Amino acid sequence: MPASAIAKELGKIVGADHVLERPEDVMLYEYDGGLSTGTPEVVVFPTSKEEVSQIARLASRMKVSLVPRGAGTGLSGGSIPRAGGIVLVVSRMTKILEIDAANRRAVVEPGVVNSDLSAAVAEHGLYFAPDPASQRASTIGGNVAENSGGAHTLAHGVTVNHITGLEVVLADGRVVQMGGKPVDSCGYDLTGLFVGTEGTVGIVTAITVKLTKVAEAVETLLAIFNTVDDAANTVMSITSDGITPVALEMLDGKTLRCVEEATHAGYPMDSGAVLLIELEGLREAVTEQAEAVRAVCQRHQAREVRRAANEAERQLLWKGRKTAFAALGRLAPAYYTQDGVVPRSHIAKVLRYIETVAQKCNLQIGNIFHAGDGNLHPCILFDLRDPDQVERTHRAGKMILQYCVDAGGTITGEHGVGMEKNELMPLLFSEDDLAVMKRVHDVLNPQSVLNPQKLFPAPRSCRETNIADAQRGRR
Amino acid sequence: MTTTAATVGLARELAGFVGAEFVTEAAARVAEFAIDEVVPRTVISPASPQQIAAVMKYAGANDLVVVPAGGFTHQHTGSIPDTIDILLRTERLKDVEHYDADDMMIGVGAGTTLAEVEQIVGPHRQMLPLDAPQPERCTVGGALAAAAHGPLKHAYGGLRDYCTGVRFVTADGKMAKAGAKVVKNVAGYDLMKLLIGSYGTIGIITGASFKLFPRPRQMRTFVAEFASMAEALVFRNRVMCSPLAPLCLEMVSPHAQVMMQESPKSGETRVGHPAPKPGEVRVGHSTGETRAGQSRIKDSQTWRVLVRAGGSDAVLARYRAELGSAVAREVDGEEDRELWRRVTEFPRVLFERSQNAMLVRVDVALQDVGPVLEATERAAIDNNFVCAAVGRIGVGALLVGLAPIAAEPPSAMQYVNAASFLRGVAPRDGSAIVLRCPVEAKRHFSVWGSTPNDLETMKSIKHVFDSKNILNRGRFLF
Repeated sequence: MPASAIAKELGKIVGADHVLERPEDVMLYEYDGGLSTGTPEVVVFPTSKEEVSQIARLASRMKVSLVPRGAGTGLSGGSIPRAGGIVLVVSRMTKILEIDAANRRAVVEPGVVNSDLSAAVAEHGLYFAPDPASQRASTIGGNVAENSGGAHTLAHGVTVNHITGLEVVLADGRVVQMGGKPVDSCGYDLTGLFVGTEGTVGIVTAITVKLTKVAEAVETLLAIFNTVDDAANTVMSITSDGITPVALEMLDGKTLRCVEEATHAGYPMDSGAVLLIELEGLREAVTEQAEAVRAVCQRHQAREVRRAANEAERQLLWKGRKTAFAALGRLAPAYYTQDGVVPRSHIAKVLRYIETVAQKCNLQIGNIFHAGDGNLHPCILFDLRDPDQVERTHRAGKMILQYCVDAGGTITGEHGVGMEKNELMPLLFSEDDLAVMKRVHDVLNPQSVLNPQKLFPAPRSCRETNIADAQRGRR
Repeated sequence: MTTTAATVGLARELAGFVGAEFVTEAAARVAEFAIDEVVPRTVISPASPQQIAAVMKYAGANDLVVVPAGGFTHQHTGSIPDTIDILLRTERLKDVEHYDADDMMIGVGAGTTLAEVEQIVGPHRQMLPLDAPQPERCTVGGALAAAAHGPLKHAYGGLRDYCTGVRFVTADGKMAKAGAKVVKNVAGYDLMKLLIGSYGTIGIITGASFKLFPRPRQMRTFVAEFASMAEALVFRNRVMCSPLAPLCLEMVSPHAQVMMQESPKSGETRVGHPAPKPGEVRVGHSTGETRAGQSRIKDSQTWRVLVRAGGSDAVLARYRAELGSAVAREVDGEEDRELWRRVTEFPRVLFERSQNAMLVRVDVALQDVGPVLEATERAAIDNNFVCAAVGRIGVGALLVGLAPIAAEPPSAMQYVNAASFLRGVAPRDGSAIVLRCPVEAKRHFSVWGSTPNDLETMKSIKHVFDSKNILNRGRFLF
């Protein structure tokens, strides 16, 4: 069916003003925060579950692909259409439907921006805990689809730990309820199953989230080490000593030098690694834990441990971490961020391995990561215009992920599989594992109208076409 | 397949998969594994997921109903089984798939008991915060299937929060896994969530991986006492709005307290504790916190809130200051551990006291705890029960016991009415699952009650995982 016909049908549902079909308009929706691209034929902006339901029915009837999209900040291509079709953007579904402070819950539409919810509930001393780096732009609907993490997931968990109920539109247009305000409910935990399905089984139209109490005290420490090994060993000792930081982030030497040049946060240019350690909770507990952290750092030859004396200093310590990717971006026209996870005890080893990969593939790789979780974010710097560099970048990425899996880890800790890593799923899962998982997909999205060709590896016959498509799509 | 010859044939066939010594069909032996008086035809103990896969393929081909079983601590939950051809025990699945203390992760076979996990991780001052009842018997697989929890749920969340990976065998005999062995993973669908609380209807769990947590060095419990539930809940709200972050925040109702204190060692059945007269349950006052030094209210009228804290002396001193005069006493050390053992074992105490009791798991939003418990108290009185409740009031997860007052068992309709009344008061997204009650009562109502989860979606998922409905047939919600 031609795009104009689809657009006309969609216009009947949401009004012609809320449908885009001109090439110069739809191309704004062909990318996300990662490297993959794919151009939709039509983009639609519904405002209600009824409209989303009608759009799903239409897409199913016409057998046109339907890809939900929040703010487009994802890193694995989850919101990019692989088969043209319709992109459904939730940016007009931005109502906070209910703030129920007494029950520690809020009910929101999927287009509500993550940090806007925290701002809205701040007067109650509450906030929404999942804090992906994109939280000022990313939507809660997108967070649900990708099961987003963030710097503070070490203590607070990822998005699924903060979602108790959903209203979802399935591929056939049915609007279904899952869970509610209670943490558990009778029957299967459909809410838990749905979070992280990356738009492949339904489109969420309302979300019941847990709200978390703002802690009384926060301590932020920056520990500076001469070697990555010392920093890595410190990470392990902190957790095994029974200290439970809410964030435990590492920047390696290469990264912190870039960061320092870009932001002048005050990191020593000759250090091997820094750890950013944040503790929160009861004042007494935080004070004690901060002392304990300092002792552990010193035991592992930290050359300096800085403590933020106030909120301004705290923001300065975080600034380096938060701007790290942008700072690395100054070194090369493009970067590719990996998201593998290793058991905590492998951090030092995997960092050494990444260094050998960088040498082997002749690439620069900076490391910024959620060390407390063992969630790496090796940032591979390259030039997209150079096909050889692109090939080496992908090879390096795959080598690192293979190492993570061999060490007992996984290929993605928080960015999702999408179209970036779907062909790598067999590193982690057997054919039977994937076939069993796919049962959930096939029963809820039988025609693969919703977000096709994502998350699961393509059947062998289609695989080469997909890879070719993906490569053509790259900027 | 109901003739004796066929039965003999079944045991022989199963012996081919798991070895003759791990199959039994002896009447005396299989009777021990009866569920709601339904006796399994055979009981088997496979050694591996491969053996289970072979059994499941055979069962599927021959339309045999399979019931997975761990330590039999949660088997009384569910509707009466249609039939049990094969009771599949996980007792031999005790492998430690992975454990490195530095990683603070463990993966174990489904038949591993909670106490065995504790033996492995305890020496490293770590813990799996799953304080479900009967840890010596309760297995990891059973706990997952029943979404079991204990008082530590307040601080650490439930299994859905710290189970990171699962291995299982499907009804059609495929060995599958989902999740990972590391703390953070978003690759693939989260089938852990589907299996947790699925009561053995999606697949047979063979192993799982969990996040571990550091064991607090020092724990102390502050016991606050109140003359009414309303006052206890006002205190709960105050604790939750304070900077405190307790490990447990548990309410113990007056009758639960009496039962736990008198936890009988003998088999003597003691019934007939006087129900509180309606006027005795004061509601709606928020000012009546018991002052220190004031004479204590009798146990049979006292609502207790237990605040368990972990940390240094300075941290505990802060708890003391914040909690103030509502605290009647503090316990630590062995006394603290014993107190929480009793709270955790409330279900067992309830049924030791009265075989004919009914235990209901109530899951509601925080502010619905009060109305639901008040309604349950009224329903209990109207139907000749005594209501005894303990609960994680900081998360809205309660265990409500209804023990018959009269010596002769109540009629089935009295159970039905009590449950129905409770459910009538529960909000739409709340759940009230009857975890255990006499079989006669089960014949007259659904132990599951209503669900906030879309039924058609659940049924379609069940169908793709178990199209022949051979797993726990007849026992689940649909």
